Amino acid sequence: MWSSARDVAAGDLVIIWQTRELIQPLLITPGKDLNSRFGYYRHADLVGIPYGSKVGSRNGKGFIHVLRPTPELWTMALPHRTQILYLADIAFITSWLDIKRGSSVIEAGTGSGSFSHSVARTIGSAGHLWSYEFHEARANKAREEFSLHGMADIVTLTHRNVCKDGFTVEDTVDAVFLDLPAPWDAIEHAKKALKKNSPTRICCFSPCMEQVLRTVSALNDSGFTDITMFETLLRPHEVHQISPQPLTQAVEKLKKLEQKR
Amino acid sequence: MDIPDCEDATSAPNSFKATTIQSGHTVLLRLPSGETKGFKVEKDGTVSIGRVGSFRANELIGHPYGLTYEIRGKELTVQPPHTLQEVEETDATNELINDGEFVQPLTLGEIEGLKKSGVHASDIIKAQIEQHANYSMKTEYSKEKYKQRKEAKYSKTFSTVEPTIYNVCDHWFKKDQNRIRDIRPDTLSQMLNLANVRPGGRYIVVDEASGLLVSAILERLGGEGRLISICDVDSPPAYPVMTLMNFRKDIVPNIHSSLNWATAQEDYTPVAAATLSEVGKSERHRIRLDKRKNAADTLSNAREELFAGEYDALLIASDYNPLEILQNLIIYVAGSGSIVVQSPFSQPLTELQSTLRLDPSYLAPSITESWLRRYQVLPGRTHPTMNTSGSGGFLLHAIKV
Repeated sequence: MWSSARDVAAGDLVIIWQTRELIQPLLITPGKDLNSRFGYYRHADLVGIPYGSKVGSRNGKGFIHVLRPTPELWTMALPHRTQILYLADIAFITSWLDIKRGSSVIEAGTGSGSFSHSVARTIGSAGHLWSYEFHEARANKAREEFSLHGMADIVTLTHRNVCKDGFTVEDTVDAVFLDLPAPWDAIEHAKKALKKNSPTRICCFSPCMEQVLRTVSALNDSGFTDITMFETLLRPHEVHQISPQPLTQAVEKLKKLEQKR
Repeated sequence: MDIPDCEDATSAPNSFKATTIQSGHTVLLRLPSGETKGFKVEKDGTVSIGRVGSFRANELIGHPYGLTYEIRGKELTVQPPHTLQEVEETDATNELINDGEFVQPLTLGEIEGLKKSGVHASDIIKAQIEQHANYSMKTEYSKEKYKQRKEAKYSKTFSTVEPTIYNVCDHWFKKDQNRIRDIRPDTLSQMLNLANVRPGGRYIVVDEASGLLVSAILERLGGEGRLISICDVDSPPAYPVMTLMNFRKDIVPNIHSSLNWATAQEDYTPVAAATLSEVGKSERHRIRLDKRKNAADTLSNAREELFAGEYDALLIASDYNPLEILQNLIIYVAGSGSIVVQSPFSQPLTELQSTLRLDPSYLAPSITESWLRRYQVLPGRTHPTMNTSGSGGFLLHAIKV
């Protein structure tokens, strides 16, 4: 997908890490500059350094880290065109759908491509992802990104409304992932696209319980079995070091205060 | 129902694992109670599932995973998939239902008699319902629940469970979560994604979770890539989780090498090298020496490979001091590579994070804990399940810079 070389080269897409909240992609284009909160950098200066390097700014205003893109970093850095999926959901869905090397997968809708990048990484060149997006501009933007990130062989993006017009493959995929407002409309279509002669899986992602109930009903009516539903969240833990103060200090201080008065 | 004509047992692209049940596989079966258990399937052997019954192993061989069967005699018949039926609401309540000893009057002896005479489970349950004092008063939901409980007791059906890493992890988590360090399927999936595990990738793992991590990484690699695991025993550990994955034994050694903490030290020369100058005095002696030479070569290749470094990520699930583990192995991780450390407890990770955040070689060391809740979704009866796991372990993730 992205560069696997040890060092950064001109034309690479890298991830610039400034802070936990400031992570952005950068296409290394010698001649261009990066102006940031942490100083001024020339793209040309970043060529030839190993991925993972800490780079000081030219004007001494701070430093940045230059990282190799991964789907996880991409999820944090990508320009949002829609609400996206994050690590906890992506990881759980991938595992539950048994997505691995060589898997054939359908995703609808593509959205901002967060899930798409993760799936492409996990299935590799031996697998394939058919991704569908009904919004033309977003479909084009995603297609551009997939091409730039070396994923064009692994991902086929189609501009299409899958609820109305179904998918473009039949008896082909191991897994279907639906992130749509009305997944129940796509379920019969999904059934046609799934392989007929091996166990296959479908996962529908919905923010609202009403959508879940309707989806489960549709899945059941279409003959899917072992229907389960999960909610998952990631809880970050902040680490603080505290040294409990001795109470005797307070006692002493107060006694002194009283005496002064 | 016909058994679908499955792809060839070892078809590409996933020829790392057979796609059908083969002789020698340890197969996970889901029993009527909902419990999953592993059973060895050997050609011409018998599989005994306790109260549910026993059958000839050959009945399963060549079948795809995921089907449901009923045991009749020693043979199996495939059951069609079973979807949920509509349940209509009525006005019934439990206002007048009293529990008591004689509510269900069939005695244990009578039930055993029915079972022995080969009466089908559904008929036993029907007989119980007919004589049940309160059954007609129950709500429809309550009746469903009653029938399901009885099914779990008398049914002679079971399903085979596909050995995906999700299913195997889930099975182990329910059966013996201590032996997998509380690594719940959601936590495991996050470790794999955070470590960017992918076909062709190269990883170092310290796995004291019965081989759960090794199995998961091998599964994702699908026969393409490299994995070195470091352990604290002389020869490679048994990794019991791997048994259920049914990987192809001829391919695994090409992907997976094992070292121990001593052989992973650059300044240590393994004893094996010393005996290589011996000459074989007999055929048997020569074979033994060849074996020893092969083992020594494998060992030295693994060491060379580790010491050359540039691995994509390091994954740790160990009781040893994580800081010491990192001090030993971090040099072998490539710049911008991932470090993922797991613990069933938060304290070791908070101590580790406090140290790492002062170390400029580690970018943004962060601790997370995963929360997973399962819901029962049934018409009119949707709610979170009564039992939810309280902890799936903790993770620390950092990027090497």
